[in-house]
Amino acid sequence: MRRWLISPSPILLAYAAALLLFVLVSFYSPGFANPAHVATLITLAAFIGIAAIGQTIVIVGGGIDLSVPWIMNSAAILATALAHGQDWALLWIAPLILLAGAAVGVVNGIGIALLRVPPIVMTMSVNVITQGLLLIATRGFPPPLAPKALTAVAAGKIGPFPVILLVWIILAVAIVVVERRTSFGRYLYALGSNRTVATLSGVPVARTTIAAYAISGTTAALAGILLCGYSRQAYLGMGDPYLFTTIAAVAIGGASILGGTGSYLGTVAGALVLIILTGVLPILKLDVGALKIIYGLVILVTVFISAPSLRELMRRPGSK
Amino acid sequence: MNAFVTLARRHLWLPPLLVLVVLGIAIGIMRPGTFAIDQINIKVAAAMTLILIATGETIVVSRGGIDLSVGGILSLTTAICATRGDPGLAESIFWIGFVLVLGALVGVLNSVIITIGKLQPFVVTLATWSILEGCALMVLPAESSGVPDSWVAVEHVTPLGIGVPIMLLGILVSLWAWFSRTRIYNAIRAAGSNERSAYLNRVSVLGTNAWAYGLSGFFAAAAGLYFSTQTGAGHPTVGTQYVLPAIAAVVIGGTSLLGGRGTLMGTIVGAFILTLIGDVVFLLKLQSYWQWVMSGFILMLVVILTGLTESRSSSGSGS
Repeated sequence: MRRWLISPSPILLAYAAALLLFVLVSFYSPGFANPAHVATLITLAAFIGIAAIGQTIVIVGGGIDLSVPWIMNSAAILATALAHGQDWALLWIAPLILLAGAAVGVVNGIGIALLRVPPIVMTMSVNVITQGLLLIATRGFPPPLAPKALTAVAAGKIGPFPVILLVWIILAVAIVVVERRTSFGRYLYALGSNRTVATLSGVPVARTTIAAYAISGTTAALAGILLCGYSRQAYLGMGDPYLFTTIAAVAIGGASILGGTGSYLGTVAGALVLIILTGVLPILKLDVGALKIIYGLVILVTVFISAPSLRELMRRPGSK
Repeated sequence: MNAFVTLARRHLWLPPLLVLVVLGIAIGIMRPGTFAIDQINIKVAAAMTLILIATGETIVVSRGGIDLSVGGILSLTTAICATRGDPGLAESIFWIGFVLVLGALVGVLNSVIITIGKLQPFVVTLATWSILEGCALMVLPAESSGVPDSWVAVEHVTPLGIGVPIMLLGILVSLWAWFSRTRIYNAIRAAGSNERSAYLNRVSVLGTNAWAYGLSGFFAAAAGLYFSTQTGAGHPTVGTQYVLPAIAAVVIGGTSLLGGRGTLMGTIVGAFILTLIGDVVFLLKLQSYWQWVMSGFILMLVVILTGLTESRSSSGSGS
């Protein structure tokens, strides 16, 4: 118990921060905690959360995925362009787009694992290429509206609960099981903490890396499809904010960008913290500039708290 | 072929220079008059912001780090420049100095957080980028003109037909010729190639970080100054457009993200390649978006080729 108090896990801290923030703001502005508003916040957090599933997996494995924004954007635009507003068409379009996302992820993974391109460079190139191809294909014109069924999933509610929360919970449980109970999960943590050791101890490095980026491509595509349902249309640039927010959610959730640590549970807390902060702005009458400053400070503070050096320092009096 | 590999290993900027020459010749054939001095002035002017920002990035990358906050410094600098009203000479000098010192201090602050907290440069500078861009939006909420006219005028003088950008480029290259031989840069490279053994050889981890990130901040501020005088306007969010291209220019130029070595010549070549791709796309009458696709492919190709020459020559030396 004492040990837990002295060096609490970063994940617990992230949840505590989200809760504390929520309670404080609710006291300050009672309307903040009303169910409809909470549902909106959770829906917005779900988009970050779902897009950040892959980012978490990739970062735990010691990489980073900068191609999330335009995979999301491409998925959104493909969904509206192929469906032409027809609901039934989604049945074949959605799986196809998820597969395409996975394929882009596989390209990332092959470049990184087999051709030894640094993850930053590889995923940055793929992001730029995807962006270019998408703009060329659409000639910069906005495609038609999103199918209604998609909006029903992304923005609909069952009673007071957003449908997307259900989707998010199922995915979160699945990912945590994958992280903890499968050999892929173990390989991922081994790979992230030390690539050389992982290789020598028989971890299939290439396969694990490619699978991680494939998952990231798939979840980014899923987030993109859902996001276009929520905003009822697809537009160019809609994925751009998610480069920062997915990485920020992972960092706030306590995973080290160097890999080997962290869990998706932390990322969920990170996504909640980010969205609650966004919700605080109009209440305090702050603008985007202030939000960016607060985002930056929150990331700095959380990575400082979960930094190995500081935790060592805090643990020292306890171990004496 | 093997001779070229050996040469390319010694001069990392040779392969990208080849690409640049090919691009240049292609453009020269498609549009006669490309190599007239005023055309060159225009091209250098177009590439200069990226060159300045990528110069700092080159130093940080050879230290084994990465600096995303340069985007924030660029945005903040242009915001400050666009809100100075109509300053006199003394005031102008003060503000220019202020901006450059501010950039350097932000960089040093980055290095202190990274070193003391033993944190990853990527996350720390991502956070400070966000903070600085927030500050830029506070100083100047939206894109607007307002950079002092006298500053814009200085940027547009062309004595003997040679523009300020070309002169800046000359100064930059000569400064680098000196800086790359100093003990400071050697220490930065040593710490970048192996921090632990550098530390055991009494190279200061904090000191080398402070120099690298401080210079990076300084050059990002210089890029902001240049950008403001060139456009005459402040853009509080422009940094976003330059962070990844700056890293791309460094990588295309042959500087390894693993640290330990860096070449400004290569970075300058990389920045020109990225700038000229736009021209090629325009001259081929393609949609301008092809620019993105082509730069992505060139970036990937260069890195894969660099990796291949490295593994070839290392296996060669082993046998």
